[in-house]
Amino acid sequence: MATHALNPAASTYARGGLYEWLATTDHKKIGIMYVVNSMLFFLVGGVLALVVRTELATPGIQFLADERVYNEMFTMHATLMIFVFIIPMLAGLGNYAVPLQIGAPDMAFPRINALSFWMLPLAGILLISSFFTGGAAAAGWTSYPPLSGEGPLNSPGSGQDLWIVSLILIGTSSILGAINFLVTIFKMRAPGMTLFRMPIMVWTILVTSVLVLMATPVITSALVMLFIDRNLGGHFFDPFAGGSAVLYQNIFWFYSHPAVYVMVLPAMGVISEVLPVFSRKPLFGYRAFVFATAGIGALGFSVWAHHMFTTGAVFLPFFALLTFMIAIPTGVKMFNWVFTLFRGQLTFSTPLIFALGFLTMFLIGGINGAFSAAVPVDFALHDTYWVVAHLHYVLFGGSVFGVFAGIYYWFPKMTGRMLDEGLGKIQFVLMFVGFNLTFFPMHMLGLAGMPRRIADYAGDAGWNEWNIAATVGGFMIAASMLPFLWNVFISLRNGKVAGDDPWEGNTLEWATSSPPPPYNFDSLPEIRSERPLFDARHGQTAH
Amino acid sequence: MSSTPRKRPASDALVAGAVVAILVALVVAVFLTGAGNSLYPPAAATTQGRDIRGLYDIVFALAIGIFLLVEGLIVWSVIRYRRRPGDIELPAQTHGNNVAEIVWTVVPTAIVLFLFVISWQSLSRVDAISAKPDIRIHAIAGQFQWQFEYLDANGTKVATQLAPAYDTNTGAGGMAVPVGRSVQVTLDSPDVIHAFYVPRFLFKRDVVPGQTNRFEFTVEPSEAGQVFRGQCAELCGIGHRAMLLSVIALTPADYDAWLQGLIEKSNATPEPLPSGTVLNVTAEGVKFDTAALEVPAPPGITHDVDIRDGGGAVLAAKDTIDGGTSTNYSYEPMQAGTYTFFCSIHSNMTGTLTVK
Amino acid sequence: MTADSHALTTAEHTPIAGLAHDARGGISNPILGMLLFLTSEVMFFAGLFAAYFNTRAANKPWPPTEFEHILNPFSLILVATVILVASSFTCQMAIWAIRRNDRRGFIRNIGVTFVLGVIFLLMQVYDYSLLFDEGMTLGSGQFGTTYYTLTGFHGAHVFGGVIMLGVVLYRGMSGQFSARHHDAVEAASLYWHFVDIVWILLFSILYFL
Repeated sequence: MATHALNPAASTYARGGLYEWLATTDHKKIGIMYVVNSMLFFLVGGVLALVVRTELATPGIQFLADERVYNEMFTMHATLMIFVFIIPMLAGLGNYAVPLQIGAPDMAFPRINALSFWMLPLAGILLISSFFTGGAAAAGWTSYPPLSGEGPLNSPGSGQDLWIVSLILIGTSSILGAINFLVTIFKMRAPGMTLFRMPIMVWTILVTSVLVLMATPVITSALVMLFIDRNLGGHFFDPFAGGSAVLYQNIFWFYSHPAVYVMVLPAMGVISEVLPVFSRKPLFGYRAFVFATAGIGALGFSVWAHHMFTTGAVFLPFFALLTFMIAIPTGVKMFNWVFTLFRGQLTFSTPLIFALGFLTMFLIGGINGAFSAAVPVDFALHDTYWVVAHLHYVLFGGSVFGVFAGIYYWFPKMTGRMLDEGLGKIQFVLMFVGFNLTFFPMHMLGLAGMPRRIADYAGDAGWNEWNIAATVGGFMIAASMLPFLWNVFISLRNGKVAGDDPWEGNTLEWATSSPPPPYNFDSLPEIRSERPLFDARHGQTAH
Repeated sequence: MSSTPRKRPASDALVAGAVVAILVALVVAVFLTGAGNSLYPPAAATTQGRDIRGLYDIVFALAIGIFLLVEGLIVWSVIRYRRRPGDIELPAQTHGNNVAEIVWTVVPTAIVLFLFVISWQSLSRVDAISAKPDIRIHAIAGQFQWQFEYLDANGTKVATQLAPAYDTNTGAGGMAVPVGRSVQVTLDSPDVIHAFYVPRFLFKRDVVPGQTNRFEFTVEPSEAGQVFRGQCAELCGIGHRAMLLSVIALTPADYDAWLQGLIEKSNATPEPLPSGTVLNVTAEGVKFDTAALEVPAPPGITHDVDIRDGGGAVLAAKDTIDGGTSTNYSYEPMQAGTYTFFCSIHSNMTGTLTVK
Repeated sequence: MTADSHALTTAEHTPIAGLAHDARGGISNPILGMLLFLTSEVMFFAGLFAAYFNTRAANKPWPPTEFEHILNPFSLILVATVILVASSFTCQMAIWAIRRNDRRGFIRNIGVTFVLGVIFLLMQVYDYSLLFDEGMTLGSGQFGTTYYTLTGFHGAHVFGGVIMLGVVLYRGMSGQFSARHHDAVEAASLYWHFVDIVWILLFSILYFL
């Protein structure tokens, strides 16, 4: 079926001039640009994290000029990582994979797709530019008013306004992207690709897009109101003029909790592609997995107030119950993954290793989340380093490991060349050890009472050892990026030529050349299951 | 193509089993040797905190069990089911198993329902508010200082503690409470959101402007004489990490003496100001109250009085003072004109100074 | 394989693309896209309305006595409402016209819709100027803030709709639409109806509830 088995170096596609990249509406090029752009901001956000960790290594204000700078650092770290790295990175992998996996020539609206992408570097540059216009936003990525409001002690200056504008831009980009994904998935599937034959990656992007579509406009409204309060004399969130500070939190988390699933569901999709391929087995319980994904999406809209248990302004039992219930579909997925491995034939290529990293880290991130669902325990843990540990186990241990699994998995398809396995494993070991060294001690710090977002702490508080460990781990994570970047650099030039299907993949993207031609396919195999290429390779009877 | 059952050397299962056993043994060892103690919160100092600790222990035991089960399965599968060079035939293509799916839906459902029920029960005890607490304290969290007002049974203020953190050298400062008595704290903020957090209470509650939150606690009698650290747990700006507080647990007799001392200190008349041309400026909350010159400056918020000329340049920048204290600033002679005086901590606190 | 000029064309018109299309027909891509976009718009206004109700519940009396008189529904605002509702009808008549390939009727009706939209906007601007004269601004307490934000964002959406209608009108006058090919018209009309429905909600909630 592979009629495009070209040497990648000979492909005009791989050699497209700069103009072709700037003007492209090809979902593959746009997807790659998403990935590259997100990776750049990942590095910037990582540097900010190192600044934070260095400052916290030992008690005392070490090297930051003042605490405002420290507040800017963690605010911008979180904002960049969430809004300009993880969400766009996963959207980028989806952008690359979804049309290929459903056998479509492109996204439904290619030019809107390009627009969605180009808003992101613009927003990222706007965000970073705020460092040079009198100080970046410093009220945390949650930017709760009144702290994010006007006022010399709160958030004076344009940094907070630039933050608002950037987030609205990114939100608009996400909404347009979600519409594009939904129309593509609903309308452009290849003949035979019924909904229940779609790859899990496509399902997770589908659910993610619904979440984005329904939740992102809501935070846009909160940001707009915040902007009005700051600049036009409004009083929405001004408790001293009849407004409500908690109202913002309700609207903010109505978006930002579903956003957590936006940040992790596509990563789950990636590893649900990787695990079956490298186990030589189908995903265990495909339908259950799909329903669990949809269930997580639906529950995601009704648990936002579990971020607000200590505000004294939410109905605790309701949100506690629904939050606990999230554990059920998540547990279903975890067992499905594990039993995909069970009795398989595992090949330990780098994508699988990162996927296994995801399983272990996400397991911890899921379990330590349950602590905070038990409301009284959350009274102890809320806003401490425990929460920082939890969210990084989900978003770094989960999403970022998933992202790297996806990059190693699809790099051969994107470029026609394999990434080096040895360097990939070095990266994994550094990252895995560094990650746990950084974030596991944060559980202990949180239990011992260290609050988040403090620039300094007393030397006799008993937090010193764990902070040093976390800082050392942080630098290990940073070091793990070096083999990765080197790997990409050398593999683009001298990497092993991949061929159409280096992994014995299951899904349609492996039925075309690497990299695929414009419009992706000359012909498609028959689609009779969620693994059309497996069927083509082994025949239907293998089921 | 048929999928035959795989024939694996028994040694694989042995190795995998051994690794899983080592994993379990490691976890057990961590807890037996006491190295796992840092995975528990500190010993709770309050009745409510002990309740929370009891809940934590249950959740934690379940968490460890679930982690070992799932991680053990992962490790087992990873070691046992590596692909061997001879593995050309496909493994059994298992698409699912309804019984298994039902089991791992129903069992977790039962577990989370159990957790929900016990945490709800715990919540109703921890969050209980009594109509007649033994002690009432009104805590005000402003950028960036705490202040504790002691109230009588009618809610009338009898004394104010302006120094929120205990000073080990002088023994001054801190929020004293009697052990064994119920203490109800009401929380208010004049500016942004803060949070009252004392790690050894295993508890925190947000201080939300425009909304009065309250909570209650009883310090265990065995804790008399202890000082508990606390601090603001909700980002409140540049002074967030410096918003420290202490809770001092005293025996009821010591507490009564302590409170009497605080009442006397609160009622003491401020020292008379030096004679001369004195402009009295009072910081009231986060405003200068230039109309009420006679009012002593009460709240526990740091201020200073700086002067800016008509063009905005700062002419005089003074050291800050803590709320509740007063100080004299002297300024260089100024030319006639209109100036702005302001607090450098709270730039919305301004007034006009006219020099004639 | 050549990659010469494909990068700048859309996929729909190439024979290769046809291969992978889902051929089960139904709603067209642009219209589905517009419906999804409107879903997100509904959520955006839901956020604003949630803030409005929250604010209103916390502030008594509502409206504050000083601004009570501005909420008289039987004033200019009723005329504006009638105009906007009427424009929805003319918009739908334009759709029916183009569906039966009546281009003249289509252009006439879309033109009327466009003009009615502009009139609504002008009336809103006039209304704002009256309110400003009375001293009501965005900063006039919770009432001013919510009133201007809700009506302002609706106005911005009307403005966007008028631009869409203008583009549709221009394209229609240059003969671009037919009974078979008028997805852009259908999408613009969906948007226009949405804006109209939001206004009816807004008008009822602000002025009557």
